[in-house]
Amino acid sequence: MNLPGRSDGESVEAVAAEPPEVPPLVDHIDERIDTRARTRELFQRLDQMPEGREQEQVRNELVQLHLPLVDHLARRFRNRGEPLDDLVQVGTIGLIKSVDRFRLDRGVEFSTYATPTVLGEIKRYFRDKGWAVRVPRRLQELRLSLATATAELTQELGRAPTISELADRLKVNEEDILEGLESANAYSTLSLDAPDIGETDGQSMADSLGMDDEALEGVDYRESLKPLLAQLDPRAKHILMLRFFRGMTQSQIAAEVGISQMHVSRILSRTLAQLRSGLLDH
Amino acid sequence: MSHDHHVTLTIPADGAYLSILRTATAGVAARLDFTLDGIEDLRMAVDEACALLLPQSKAESNLHCSFDVGERSLTIAVTAESTAPKPPRRDGFAWTVLTALTSDVDAHVDGSWVTLRLTREREGFEHP
Repeated sequence: MNLPGRSDGESVEAVAAEPPEVPPLVDHIDERIDTRARTRELFQRLDQMPEGREQEQVRNELVQLHLPLVDHLARRFRNRGEPLDDLVQVGTIGLIKSVDRFRLDRGVEFSTYATPTVLGEIKRYFRDKGWAVRVPRRLQELRLSLATATAELTQELGRAPTISELADRLKVNEEDILEGLESANAYSTLSLDAPDIGETDGQSMADSLGMDDEALEGVDYRESLKPLLAQLDPRAKHILMLRFFRGMTQSQIAAEVGISQMHVSRILSRTLAQLRSGLLDH
Repeated sequence: MSHDHHVTLTIPADGAYLSILRTATAGVAARLDFTLDGIEDLRMAVDEACALLLPQSKAESNLHCSFDVGERSLTIAVTAESTAPKPPRRDGFAWTVLTALTSDVDAHVDGSWVTLRLTREREGFEHP
């Protein structure tokens, strides 16, 4: 899965160098060094302590000491439709797990060790949340096999498969396939999987956008549509143009853009909804 | 299928019920052996059609949806009751979307009723 921003194994130092809209993890280098020293000291004590109330206190202090890290990491997932408080809460679970598992002899800073675990908890929360609405595990698995079977059959047949062809291939009945497609549409955590715009090759994207503008020539409502299109994510806009102005099918677009047909379908639905709300405002 | 089948569905003119119409659309299209492309296109088309009809629907009214299942094509008609019924502009973006997603689109107004009719032919391919 693609992560927003950086990879799992990043260090806190890298995090602290992020753009200014994210508050710096620690304001002063001195303070950071203090935190590190204190962390090491606490883990040393924890190591030598018998289980009990005192150990609990040290553990709590370690958690408290690193709450700013959780807060910082959680902030990266703002504006994804979940309250920041909830994200901090699940991130804190990751922090507690890290405190319990960390050993000084690992030879890394605790914050470096804890970051992927905290991020992992937050992302898992999004995944579970996306599905939790109404998609049981059976359907999650079906969705995955559907995606694979759709890609294989499209390759074999040179067109998108029908429901009955998918049912044959997966040896389930057609109702199950329909249910699986339904759940694929309900799956709402798309943005977490979608690559950032920055990952697109600049040149080829510029090329395709130029062609997109040509495709719009001669369209009556071009002027009213243009500002709305300009607000769209470039890839979403490109996919929209391919479908509605160049008449490509979803499967053809999937092959050209290099994502699954289901993904194309979700991007198109979402983009149309976005445009609709924009057009209504006018 | 030797003769045409007919399915009707009435839902409240409220966005919250559109998922029922989308699901029904996918189910009927699957019976006709549409491909995934066709099914997803039709699902999007009914969404778009309802997006045109809902804003002009009377409060607390219903959307009447009918599916005509032919041997090789599916026609979906969605009718709304409106105090100021007007067919959508044919030079607008929504219309472009509807025509790209279907084989034929038609709109007409009859008294206080406005209907959008979408037809999609099944893709012509031989079964393996």
